[in-house]
Amino acid sequence: MSSFLPAVAEELLREIRNVYQETSQIPDEILLALKFVFGPSALHALDLVDQRAVTVLSSPSGRRVYQVVGGSGHLYTCYTTCHYCPCPAFAFSVLRRSESLLCKHILAAYLCQAMGLSQQETVTDQQMSNILCGKAGPGT
Amino acid sequence: MIVGERCDIKTSLLFLTAITAASELGVKVLFLTPTPIQSLPGSLQDTLANLNPDSLKKIKFMYPRSREELLQDVASLHECACGPSAPYSLIIVDGLERYLGVRPDSSPQPEDQSAAAHVSALLADTAAFLTRKLEERGGAYAPCRVIVSFDVGLQGHSGGESLLCMDPILSILDRYFSVRCTLDRDRSSAAPATAIASDKQPRGVWMVYFSGVGVTARLTAGKEESSIMQRQWRLAVCPNGALEFSPMGTDE
Repeated sequence: MSSFLPAVAEELLREIRNVYQETSQIPDEILLALKFVFGPSALHALDLVDQRAVTVLSSPSGRRVYQVVGGSGHLYTCYTTCHYCPCPAFAFSVLRRSESLLCKHILAAYLCQAMGLSQQETVTDQQMSNILCGKAGPGT
Repeated sequence: MIVGERCDIKTSLLFLTAITAASELGVKVLFLTPTPIQSLPGSLQDTLANLNPDSLKKIKFMYPRSREELLQDVASLHECACGPSAPYSLIIVDGLERYLGVRPDSSPQPEDQSAAAHVSALLADTAAFLTRKLEERGGAYAPCRVIVSFDVGLQGHSGGESLLCMDPILSILDRYFSVRCTLDRDRSSAAPATAIASDKQPRGVWMVYFSGVGVTARLTAGKEESSIMQRQWRLAVCPNGALEFSPMGTDE
């Protein structure tokens, strides 16, 4: 998924990965850089990280997908290799207005990936197919 | 992504691509289209006569009738990617606009843009997954690529390229498909309906050119195919239906 990001954002996520692995913290200057690069989404995404809202679903075929519980409790499915989120902010700010690189759910997925804080869950291949096409959550 | 006004030539090109990939590269192809293909494009009938039937067996046709069915078909491709049979190396979607509910006579709604992003992202994510599976098998048939065709309502307009730039759905598709192949009909070269010498004149002529961030990246990296994508091409449909490509000078 990182190839969809500008180089500065990729570098920032690499820095977060390295620093967090060593210290289990993100220093203030990196938090400021996150806010600078990603705008208001950064704080909301960090909040989702704190809430452990990101789950990586995987199925026996090896297919993986992110599911993020939004602030309103909605479950958003985000793909692992390219940017897409069914949330209204992605539709408006990213797709329609091109004002943001991504929404808070995708950024939270990036951050959890970098910090190793994603929950893990296994589903059947058929459940994965239904989740990928937006039909169902993992429990259905 | 192949883009242009509504015409059958895009289906012929996609069909030719599927046959070429299956017969010359030996890869498996999935061809998705909302309408079952009733007859072979005239341009391919001679080609098909010389093909090994085994090559054609590498092409699978599926006919999802709605966006929901298309999403379901693409989303379930991972289920058979671990079996003994090789995964698809090429996924073709003919007539993507028909799955997105885009009508040339009305402006797309915000939900149309989200739907376009969902379908495109699922295709891209599926191709990335199948590429990984192909690489696990040795990588001979990797990567998996996606080609879609998209009609834009340019009939009766001049300055087609500027309209293409303004199409809100196309701007979404450009996010996910990094190379755009534009077909621009050359109306000055088409045979007039009443032409006496019409058996020698092409039935239609298109200008073909590539654009998008994928082309730029290839040029920067000095990839081999960059010289092909850098050029403009003339595509003529001959009276017997054959497709003839010829490079155009950069000053044309």
